[in-house]
Amino acid sequence: MSDKRLILLIEDDHAISNFICRALTANEYKPLAAFSGKEGLSLFFSHGPDLVLLDLGLPDLDGLEVLSQLRDLPREVPIIIISARDRESEKVRALDMGADDYVVKPFGVSELLARIRSTLRRADRLKISQGIQRDVYQVKDLTVNIAKHQVIQNGEEIHFTQNEFKILELLAIHAGKVLTYDFILEHVWGPYSGSSNQILRVNMANIRRKLKENPSAPNYIYTELGIGYRMLED
Amino acid sequence: MTPSHWYSRFCHAVSRLYHRVPVLPRDCGFTVLLLCAAYLLSSILISHTGGENNSALVFVLAVVLISLLTTGYFYGIVASIVGTFCINVYFMVPYASFSLSRAGYPVTMLSMLAISCVVCTLTARVKRQASEAIRRERNAKSLYEQNERLNAEKTAIQLESARETIRGNILRAVSHDLRTPLTAISGAASVLLSSGEINPKNTCLLQDIKADADTLIVMVENLLSITRIQDGKTSLKKREEMLEEVAGDAILATRRRFPDFEIRLEMSEDLLFLPMEPLLIKQVIVNLLENAIRHSGSTAPITLRLSQQDNWAIVDVRDQGRGLDAALCKSIQEGKPLTQDLSDDSTRGMGIGLSVCQSIIKAHDGFFAAGNSPEGGAVFRFGLPMGESES
Repeated sequence: MSDKRLILLIEDDHAISNFICRALTANEYKPLAAFSGKEGLSLFFSHGPDLVLLDLGLPDLDGLEVLSQLRDLPREVPIIIISARDRESEKVRALDMGADDYVVKPFGVSELLARIRSTLRRADRLKISQGIQRDVYQVKDLTVNIAKHQVIQNGEEIHFTQNEFKILELLAIHAGKVLTYDFILEHVWGPYSGSSNQILRVNMANIRRKLKENPSAPNYIYTELGIGYRMLED
Repeated sequence: MTPSHWYSRFCHAVSRLYHRVPVLPRDCGFTVLLLCAAYLLSSILISHTGGENNSALVFVLAVVLISLLTTGYFYGIVASIVGTFCINVYFMVPYASFSLSRAGYPVTMLSMLAISCVVCTLTARVKRQASEAIRRERNAKSLYEQNERLNAEKTAIQLESARETIRGNILRAVSHDLRTPLTAISGAASVLLSSGEINPKNTCLLQDIKADADTLIVMVENLLSITRIQDGKTSLKKREEMLEEVAGDAILATRRRFPDFEIRLEMSEDLLFLPMEPLLIKQVIVNLLENAIRHSGSTAPITLRLSQQDNWAIVDVRDQGRGLDAALCKSIQEGKPLTQDLSDDSTRGMGIGLSVCQSIIKAHDGFFAAGNSPEGGAVFRFGLPMGESES
């Protein structure tokens, strides 16, 4: 029993909370349900969960407020946001504030479970590596070698421009995590890159063409529409 | 009818007549008529009183009346000059001849002239004041009417915006209240389906519950989009998006719901980076793909092709099914409402999806067309303007 991962679900709708808890139990997780922001925070402090599922539309506290309180703590716990479709800007803000991932209502169970698995795996990996960066990242048949500044796909080297490589490197280091446009812009072009993300989008389109990546069946890089990009983790 | 009523009708008729005749003949007419009347009255008086006559007073009266009834000084002065001559010639000894010898004659003449001038000045002032008063009244009236109209318009606008707000709030509430339970229904059904504890006889019922809940979720999204569009173009939050990313996302979403169908994306070599509201355009593509899956009558692969023609980004959705009938293509081309044409059972549900596409594309200033491909199957095509982002 003790090796089951504890997942804290902060969600005010009972029906949604019920089916998520059932799905978590069925998939060998231990769910813990809170129905308000305050209850969620107190359960977090008393139980110390391995992951938090946080609905942004809570009755008592703003979801973003809960998020910032959790992020102010020394212990880094992965957080997945649950948000409604029409609150896109809120989603981006939550990711920029340090949330690890998000799902949009209405979401499917398999989608939610996949996000939980991938987020937990990434958190575990970070814990093991203790923040030390690897030199080589591998996704399927794609290898990104940061030290050698080299990208190899299926045994063949592919040439990228400086900025294209920087984007790939950034995505590879954070593989599995959604990176917002602003985050990528700031890390590749610097803090004064302006508010237009056109340059990033065009670079990404070129990367996609070089990797022969079709956005309807992505092998390496997923598009999070209106939010950013995510590289598949190996 | 009462006498006062008759009188007011008479006055009204006279004033209408007075204002209808042109100024010059009217004034000349009055002058001649009144001078003749004064002459007649004086001759009647002189035949009764003899030498002791009041003809001067009669003519002064005529001059006063002429000054009152005509415009300007001219007619009054002419009348006073004519009057003094008349008095001199006809009503003073020696009769029927002009003489300036009689003492006091210049006094009569000058005083008549002076009277006519004074009366003209006075009447001119009175008239000016009257017309000023009329003008002011008209101004006040038109101001009042304008004010009334503006007030009415303001109330109408306030009412309309209040109605819009209420409608928006209700829709938001409805959408949230529908979305959450639908997510719960669909989620609960899929948890049960994957739990392995369900009797196989009940599995198909659960699958129906899940599929219908998912269909309803899509329908709610469609209704939300259409209400957003109908609120007016101002509510569109357009931003520059890469069309291939939007199309890819739409295909991924459709594939999640219909994993058995093959959908191919043919990208264009050009970078199609154009202003749009990405979630709405994604919805258009999802609707067209779902349409092809549900209504084409074929399970052959569906192709989504992106291309650029001049200043348009073009999206084609091609299936290999039975094709469309001509009437439907025509109403899509002409932008007619589609819901009536598609109410029979075979195309149930097609109407809402397609009219959502139509209104979303219209709000983006794009075009929407449908037809049959020569190799068989239906083609839906829409185009969006590229915008002026060629930097």
